Amino acid sequence: MKPYAWPGGARCAVFVSVNFDAEAYDLLSTTESWLFGRFSYGRYGVRAGLPRLTQFLQRRRIRATVFVTASDAERHAQAIRALSAAGHEIAARGSDLKPLPSLGAGEGDALRYARDTLAAIAGSPPAGFRAPGGELSANTLRLLAELGYQYDASFQDADYPYLFAPSDATRLAEVPGMQALDDAPVYSARHTHARLMKIWREEFDALYDAGCLVSLTLHLRGDMGSTRAARIAALDGLFSHIASRPDVCFMTGAELAAHALASGLAPEPDPMALHQETLALTPYRGDLAVKPI
Amino acid sequence: MITRTLLPADLRCVVTLGIDFDGPSHEVGRGIAPLGIHSCGRYSARCGIPRHLEMLARHGVPCTFFVPGYDARCHPDTVRAIDAAGFEVAAHGYLHEAWELGEEEESQLLRRTDDLLRELLGKPVLGWRSPSGRKTQTTMRVLKSLGYLYDSSDKDYDLPYRLRFGRGADDWMVELPNNTYSLDDFPFYKFSYTPPSEVLAQWQSEFDAIYASDRFFVLAVHPRSGWGSGTPAHTRVLDQFIGYMRSHDGVQFFSSGEFARWCLDHPQHLEEVAIP
Repeated sequence: MKPYAWPGGARCAVFVSVNFDAEAYDLLSTTESWLFGRFSYGRYGVRAGLPRLTQFLQRRRIRATVFVTASDAERHAQAIRALSAAGHEIAARGSDLKPLPSLGAGEGDALRYARDTLAAIAGSPPAGFRAPGGELSANTLRLLAELGYQYDASFQDADYPYLFAPSDATRLAEVPGMQALDDAPVYSARHTHARLMKIWREEFDALYDAGCLVSLTLHLRGDMGSTRAARIAALDGLFSHIASRPDVCFMTGAELAAHALASGLAPEPDPMALHQETLALTPYRGDLAVKPI
Repeated sequence: MITRTLLPADLRCVVTLGIDFDGPSHEVGRGIAPLGIHSCGRYSARCGIPRHLEMLARHGVPCTFFVPGYDARCHPDTVRAIDAAGFEVAAHGYLHEAWELGEEEESQLLRRTDDLLRELLGKPVLGWRSPSGRKTQTTMRVLKSLGYLYDSSDKDYDLPYRLRFGRGADDWMVELPNNTYSLDDFPFYKFSYTPPSEVLAQWQSEFDAIYASDRFFVLAVHPRSGWGSGTPAHTRVLDQFIGYMRSHDGVQFFSSGEFARWCLDHPQHLEEVAIP
């Protein structure tokens, strides 16, 4: 397999992304007046988690990419401005966390609102986007390109960034993620942070040896996120391990996208082109998926 | 007629490796667009299959790739590359059907995938593995009529056997039973979030027990990302595990098709089973 040319001849690139997912996530299950008790893990992420995470990143001199909904950014504008001022990238995650395919004709407005809200709060429009729940409609990539986004970070289908061509004239970079490097599934299953760090260390070692993108996804939340003190300490151990390896570069989503866009890579075909016809004839059976007990 | 399959002493331990392609068919068959979080099947052709082909070539062991017809239609070059590298391509449903099908529909889908693979590779397909473990007597009858030698979907035994599906002299096929709770990758990566090194240890302990008793080992993995083994850390586990098996005396790797042929040539060694 052909190795990817990372900047400066680096062996591999580490992308630290943070899904902000505060009240926006709790509001998928409840309403404003119930944002207490079991529905306050999102607020924990902002009140307790965010200061701890930003101190950790500062100590490690790592710039992260924070994907935040317009709704959470409006609720926590000061925190978003502080993240931006500290050098972190502010990227979009929709207007709220409702899945894009459920928005129908309103999807374009939601993506525009996300862009304009973050531009007003952080001072510049977001380059990047990650879909709520990782769910895209057939129109999402085209809409993102039309709205001036430079990259999406929702797919899980490649070892390296690559390019889409939503129209003849537009290019959109894809900065793919990886389920095994997402904290939420493992913490949602109530596994320990020791277990997650064991997984991540093994994943990192193999990705490093293969020269691939190491696409980490952290959440702020107090339930399935990584910001509790013990989890930050566990993460610190992992980052010491990463730091012990030579030639690792840390890149933000915008930097990875700019690198891919400047690479002259040929764009991928429309990911829906092969499937539209079959999908039109196929009933939805998503509920067949076997879920963990 | 013998009552229990007994592999001859010169077959110290038989290993068949299977890689279930499971590209976008897995999502599209459920009516889900293979985008975003549902794009793990796109990893199979792009990264997982090339990585597995490279790893298998390094070990010089055979392997059978079970390919859904729809994925073969979407990725014909990848399927040709598997064949050109000398590996067996077998059938694995059309849209990775994970639901019960009517008799007519099932028959059509089995034929459709068979037509696709046969045309793509210019040779007959020898075997089938159910995409979700679902099969009936009809499945066997249709596969047999298409010239298939074996099925590898039943979970009811530790050894190969002759599975009878009718009363006619030829109404039987070779069954190479598998187990998707332990001798597979997705239970660990999808359900229990087991660290890769512990998946390796699990498979090693399975192999140790089988090497000491039944001497017939069937492993199934997937080249996709997410719950599959296509990514570097998960391929490494597979790589180390194949190395572990190879380090044992007398381990013989077969493609499923080659081993089915061995079974057909040695029917006296195989128990015959009729499921009422």
